[in-house]
Amino acid sequence: MFRYVFTRVVTSLALLVLGSILVFCLMRVIPGDPTITKLGGSIREVDEATLAEIRGDLGLDKSLPEQYLEWVGGVVRGDFGSSYFSQFSVTTLITQRFGATLLLAIMAMLIGALIAVPASIAGAIWPNRPLEAALSGFAAVGIAIPTFVIGICLIIVLGVELEWLPTQGYVSFQSDPLGSIRSTLLPAITLGIGVAAATMRILRPSLIDVGSASFVRTATGKGLRRRHVVVRHELPNAAIPAITAAGIIVAHLVGGAVIVEYVFARPGLGTLLVDSVYQRDYGVLQTLVLVAVAAFIATSLVVDVILGLIDPRLRTKAVT
Amino acid sequence: MSTAASAAPTEGIERARGDSAPRRLLRRPAAAVAGLVIAILVAVTVGAPVFAPYEPTTLDFLNLFTPPSREHLFGTDELGRDLFTRVLYGGRTSMIVAFTATLIAMAIGVVWGFASALREGWIGEILMRVADTMMAMPVILLGLVLVAAFGASTASMIVILGLLFAPATARIARSALIGELRSEYYLAALSVGASRARIVARELLPNTTPVLLARATLVMAEVIFVEASLSFVGLGVQPPDTSWGTLLQQGYANLYRSYAYPIFPGLVILVAVLALNTLGDNVQKVLDPSRS
Repeated sequence: MFRYVFTRVVTSLALLVLGSILVFCLMRVIPGDPTITKLGGSIREVDEATLAEIRGDLGLDKSLPEQYLEWVGGVVRGDFGSSYFSQFSVTTLITQRFGATLLLAIMAMLIGALIAVPASIAGAIWPNRPLEAALSGFAAVGIAIPTFVIGICLIIVLGVELEWLPTQGYVSFQSDPLGSIRSTLLPAITLGIGVAAATMRILRPSLIDVGSASFVRTATGKGLRRRHVVVRHELPNAAIPAITAAGIIVAHLVGGAVIVEYVFARPGLGTLLVDSVYQRDYGVLQTLVLVAVAAFIATSLVVDVILGLIDPRLRTKAVT
Repeated sequence: MSTAASAAPTEGIERARGDSAPRRLLRRPAAAVAGLVIAILVAVTVGAPVFAPYEPTTLDFLNLFTPPSREHLFGTDELGRDLFTRVLYGGRTSMIVAFTATLIAMAIGVVWGFASALREGWIGEILMRVADTMMAMPVILLGLVLVAAFGASTASMIVILGLLFAPATARIARSALIGELRSEYYLAALSVGASRARIVARELLPNTTPVLLARATLVMAEVIFVEASLSFVGLGVQPPDTSWGTLLQQGYANLYRSYAYPIFPGLVILVAVLALNTLGDNVQKVLDPSRS
């Protein structure tokens, strides 16, 4: 087990380094001079000396490998460099916004799981046509429905008409935990529906597959209740593909979060990302992309370790 | 056991009678409905000048933000323009972006995937690793980075979305081709001395076409989705160009004055994506019954 985890960690780190090089190169290919961004977009009445000074400040006068090493060196020490647009450091900007996104992601995952798992179990316990059609319909529509459409509908119904929940903004968790959860509820439901649909799309076929396994027949044959067979015998085995697909679900979450935060005007990482593209603030943009890539790699690492724990066969396969 | 044994021969007979894949597809009600919906959407957006009740630029300052009525099916916008008309005309941009971006994604993806399947060894390996790395990034995120690089406009949307969906297409094209490379007709063609380029163009490409078409349908759905998302946050199609995404954005900005304004463009996007997804899923099921 130790060797398995060790190899997975090493490959993940290698992937992360590759990813960071990719992000860095991508940012240098982008046309446009960041110094102009720093100056607010106008370059006419600036002399060469000032430009050179700003380039020096941002470290843009060095060679590309030097710039890369400097950036990575800073990242390792927790210093993400400075924003090309505002006077704040990238670290400040990101830590300010991190909480709003984290709470949204956690709540959306919870809501998604709370919808998908019981619904899939119900579908397996009572395999009848109307229920099946309803569940497949929900999964198909939930995947296809753009997050902004759900968001707008929820704002109209729960926010404006019924006035149950706040529709815009965010209260920080530290200052008011309950208010914070309340202000996150609408965006989290919006995002959670997509998560639920994505999970159900994987979990339900997997449950059906497991349903024809011999151990399920044995369990049914020895007289266990259907409920018991599904929850105790089918679900743990059917969960493996769903856990494997956690990466896809996280990707869905990250992409969805950008839109959802925009709809609900949440000061999170997603809106920061959109702003940084608007302002051509590459200092912030490259860090955010790196953070997303790191989160993604970390998820697949955790998934692999969990799968290794559940299914010992995978450990030997991955090492050899 | 008996059902399986009796089902297999009848299926063989059906196929022998020329029961083609398109026909089997249309026999599925969901696929038929989805196909019909897509046909209608394409027809009314392409033929917008014929179907639209007003000009997209007709202003009517006496009727701003009116709710849906018999005169204005979807209501009117902030300048009194008929929303139904604007959705039809906006659909043209969305459709053009969807078609051309899908075409680009398929062209790049097929070349990419075929190249990596035919060049085994480290070239093929590198090609696929690059595809995997790109696929590891959430689509919207990579899309935003590309918007930062190429700028936001209708033309750049086409390029960006084409690039965005090329890697996943490459994966599918590769696995489809690898399946064909193991087939006996490929070996037969090789043994009679046909050149590889000829076999790829004349034998392999036609045989992988159904799989690629199913893929193209699903790519188109995603292109519409992502174009709408990027336009919605203001980083996609830019005014004065109008797409379903920009209509949604403008509608969302005026949500408190008219519910219909953001809802209808949103619904149209939903219907288009849902129909394309359903069609693509069903094409896959018809081609590979073991998956259904």
